[in-house]
Amino acid sequence: MERIYEILGTFRKAGPEQLRVDAPVPTPYAAVDPEHLHVTLTAGAAAHLVVLHTTEGTSELTVELAEGAQLELTELFTAGTFSEMTVHQAARSCCRMTTVLLSGANASYRIDLAGAAAENNLGGVFLLGGQEHGVVKLHTNHLVADCRSDSTVKGVAGGEATGEFSGLVYVAQDAQRTDARQQSRNVLLSERARIETMPQLEIYADDVKCSHGATVGQMDADAILYMRQRGLSEAQARRLQIEGFVGDVVRRCGAEPLGEAVLALAAEKLERI
Amino acid sequence: MAENEKEILETLGEREYKYGFTSAIETETIGKGLSEEVVRLISAKKGEPSWMTERRVAAYRHWLTLEPPTWAHLHIPEINFQDIIYYAAPKGRKKLDSMDEVDPELKRTFDKLGIPLEEQMALAGVAVDAVMDSVSVKTTFKETLAEKGIIFCSISEALRDHPDLVRKYLGSVVPYTDNFYAALNAAVFSDGSFCYIPKGVRCPMELSTYFRINAAGTGQFERTLIVADEGAYVSYLEGCTAPQRDENQLHAAVVEIVVERDAEVKYSTVQNWYPGDKEGRGGIYNFVTKRGLCRENARLSWTQVETGSAITWKYPSCVLAGDNSVGEFYSVAMTNNFQQADTGTKMIHVGRNTRSRIVSKGISAGRSENSYRGLVRVAKGAENARNYSQCDSLLIGDRCGAHTFPVIDCRNRTAVVEHEATTSKISDDQLFYCNQRGLSTEDAVGLIVNGYAREVLAKLPMEFAVEAQKLLALQLEGTVG
Amino acid sequence: MLSVKNLHATVEGKEILRGINLEVKAGEVHAIMGPNGSGKSTLASVLAGNEKFTVTEGSVEFLGHDLLSMSIEDRARLGLFLGFQYPVEIPGVTMANFMKLAVNEHRKYRGEEPLSAAEFLRLMKEKSAVVELSSKLTARAVNEGFSGGEKKKNEIFQMAMLDPKLAILDETDSGLDIDALRIVATGVTKLHTSENATVVITHYQRLLDYIVPDVVHVLYKGRIIYTGDKTLALKLEKEGYDWLINEYDK
Repeated sequence: MERIYEILGTFRKAGPEQLRVDAPVPTPYAAVDPEHLHVTLTAGAAAHLVVLHTTEGTSELTVELAEGAQLELTELFTAGTFSEMTVHQAARSCCRMTTVLLSGANASYRIDLAGAAAENNLGGVFLLGGQEHGVVKLHTNHLVADCRSDSTVKGVAGGEATGEFSGLVYVAQDAQRTDARQQSRNVLLSERARIETMPQLEIYADDVKCSHGATVGQMDADAILYMRQRGLSEAQARRLQIEGFVGDVVRRCGAEPLGEAVLALAAEKLERI
Repeated sequence: MAENEKEILETLGEREYKYGFTSAIETETIGKGLSEEVVRLISAKKGEPSWMTERRVAAYRHWLTLEPPTWAHLHIPEINFQDIIYYAAPKGRKKLDSMDEVDPELKRTFDKLGIPLEEQMALAGVAVDAVMDSVSVKTTFKETLAEKGIIFCSISEALRDHPDLVRKYLGSVVPYTDNFYAALNAAVFSDGSFCYIPKGVRCPMELSTYFRINAAGTGQFERTLIVADEGAYVSYLEGCTAPQRDENQLHAAVVEIVVERDAEVKYSTVQNWYPGDKEGRGGIYNFVTKRGLCRENARLSWTQVETGSAITWKYPSCVLAGDNSVGEFYSVAMTNNFQQADTGTKMIHVGRNTRSRIVSKGISAGRSENSYRGLVRVAKGAENARNYSQCDSLLIGDRCGAHTFPVIDCRNRTAVVEHEATTSKISDDQLFYCNQRGLSTEDAVGLIVNGYAREVLAKLPMEFAVEAQKLLALQLEGTVG
Repeated sequence: MLSVKNLHATVEGKEILRGINLEVKAGEVHAIMGPNGSGKSTLASVLAGNEKFTVTEGSVEFLGHDLLSMSIEDRARLGLFLGFQYPVEIPGVTMANFMKLAVNEHRKYRGEEPLSAAEFLRLMKEKSAVVELSSKLTARAVNEGFSGGEKKKNEIFQMAMLDPKLAILDETDSGLDIDALRIVATGVTKLHTSENATVVITHYQRLLDYIVPDVVHVLYKGRIIYTGDKTLALKLEKEGYDWLINEYDK
């Protein structure tokens, strides 16, 4: 955790209430436990924002991307925060989001693709143990034609934890040529853990490419055997496997070395599950 | 006219008198509305044992505490439950004297489906006694079944002749507390089918209500109970493949299936109730609760082709209680014009090594709304449970909706649950290709849709599948071009 | 080094190994041949400790240890390597990460210090040359998206990294084209010393053109029914197993 604070210390501070970015060259910003934060990227602007949630309180973020704006948004939860984020995207804007729940937080996202050719890409992970109850809600609204969205949320629940994913891809009547994908991949690690996933599609346009998928399962037992044959203990093999499962999402937090630091934190959390 | 119906009519007449009603009052004032009295009256008219009457009353009292469900993706106009006739004498349909009196559009549909004239007459409600030897069909059929010890009759008959079996199983899978419409059905069900396959018996033929002449006009609150005892097998076909016209607005049927150890039941439906006209006026509200309970090594397979009804609300489900039991759900739901369908399944994995498979193919056209709604639940003890779901939507036109609402609730770490869904449309390239090979656009669409639904249609018994294909084609008319 | 005595094993109640006796000494190369379904892969799996199989009788001594009482990983750390017939894909776990853990676990078992990152990278580079494994592959997830040949090369690469006392190669030649076969076999030969031993399981002679065995065993119906020298493999290639099987079935 110190490492993460250290990295964020080198970033510009966003807020407390407002962040407005005009610069076309991406600059990293950080916000720690924002209660209300409004982020605006003007046309063509670019930024990287990292939001850290370490309290039980509520957090409300609104993000507005003007035409062609590009935002790389990383969120990390280490407490049971109740957070709501809305992202409004104008034409050709691009928002790449990464969210990592290392705690029983409740994170909801509403993404409005309101301008043609807007693009949203979201990668999410929750790692839950003990009696934690983590929730990720994701509503992606394709309001106009030619937008793209791609979301993958991976969940790991051990102990007596419950992980919940509720997703909805909504495609409005004239949002033709929508390309939307949503995936929910989950692993249960213990007898008393529980996963509930609801990936939903609501489609009112016919010329669309929409797909979703959801899986709940356990880690591949043959892979564990293979790793043990190479001398890893069962616990090591399992941890490696889970890290492999969530690693691609966790590591994608732009602005290195943040990705590795978050992964290290995630690995620490895995030890405790 | 079947003898059973006559009998029922006769006994009813006596009872009416006993309860101090005259026929005239019965049809005019008991006709509409629902109260505990009406419930008791229905039971009395059917000459039911007192435990059945009390069950109905209990269901009615429970129903009073419930509200109609609103969670489905449906716009349901408010239904005035006091404006419905809950009991009509078993003979519900007006008899016509000749084929000339049949609605010409219905006749055209029959012709398109290639249904033989005799059957057309039967289905349209023309008196067929002189034309078709329906009684002998029925008799041969019943003899074959009786030899094997199979019971196949109306619920009313079953209550009379096999009260212990009915008492044991009725409401055991769908209790009246289940939901609003199940409670209503339990209180007022008019009639329906009862089927019992004894231990180790393979039913030698597909059972269909079509053969049970007195099944016609059982009305809006049908109740079906199928019991396959240990090691038994039956394939059951529901409804007729021809488009029955029915003036009833609300259908709230309940189907319960008990699949005992090592038994297998296949239940196929082709639902083609009146969907309303092109402007969305009229049509049936089809609110059905269907559920089966599988014991150890049992297998239950639901196959449905839903093309009719203005509103469909229906989730044939499997409770996989026994170890190694298997549940399957194969569905094609086609909506056109202003139809709405919210249909899917629930697979409840309780036993170990239980498996389920869901294949759902939605087709929406016109201004219709078509939703898949599914639940896959894996209980704590369901070691090694497996589920695979594939839910596809096909959109025809840009004014319809296609939705997918799956829920996966997994509480066992050895379980593997997979769900996939895709959405597609009929591409212009496909149509052009077919047109170029000389197919009309309509034929091309029919061909593509049938290809899309093939996996499900293939699960239907052969004859049913052929008619289902024709029904789909019929329903597709005017969707393109 | 390895002493297998009267080994019986079952899977799902079915007896697959029905009394195996096998002695392997340091410096030796053994080939185990036999028709499909004779129990070759089961023998490899049982020695590695795959829990799918239940040992019902017999004993296995490996470097003075009671092998059967050890966990899979301790058998590996002691120096038993199994080259898998179907190497498993492990999504998201990089080869480097995986091998670093494995190498250091082996070192820890022997009471050695873990390798530093630099030392480890040097070792990776050195050993990948043994089987001409591209450094691109070592940067990827374990076996993920590898071709059949790449997976088998990767097995031998890992064998080189872990430097086992006894390597059991289960059908390492299956699915390989002639170039890959040569590379894999040459790699195995390079790694062979007077200190270690190799057991090659195969049902083709062609691998034995490159890896010359000291002893050839024929496994049939869960037993070793014949043991000979390297000429036996050639004879089997020419005449098939029938002459042995017929003799045995009589």
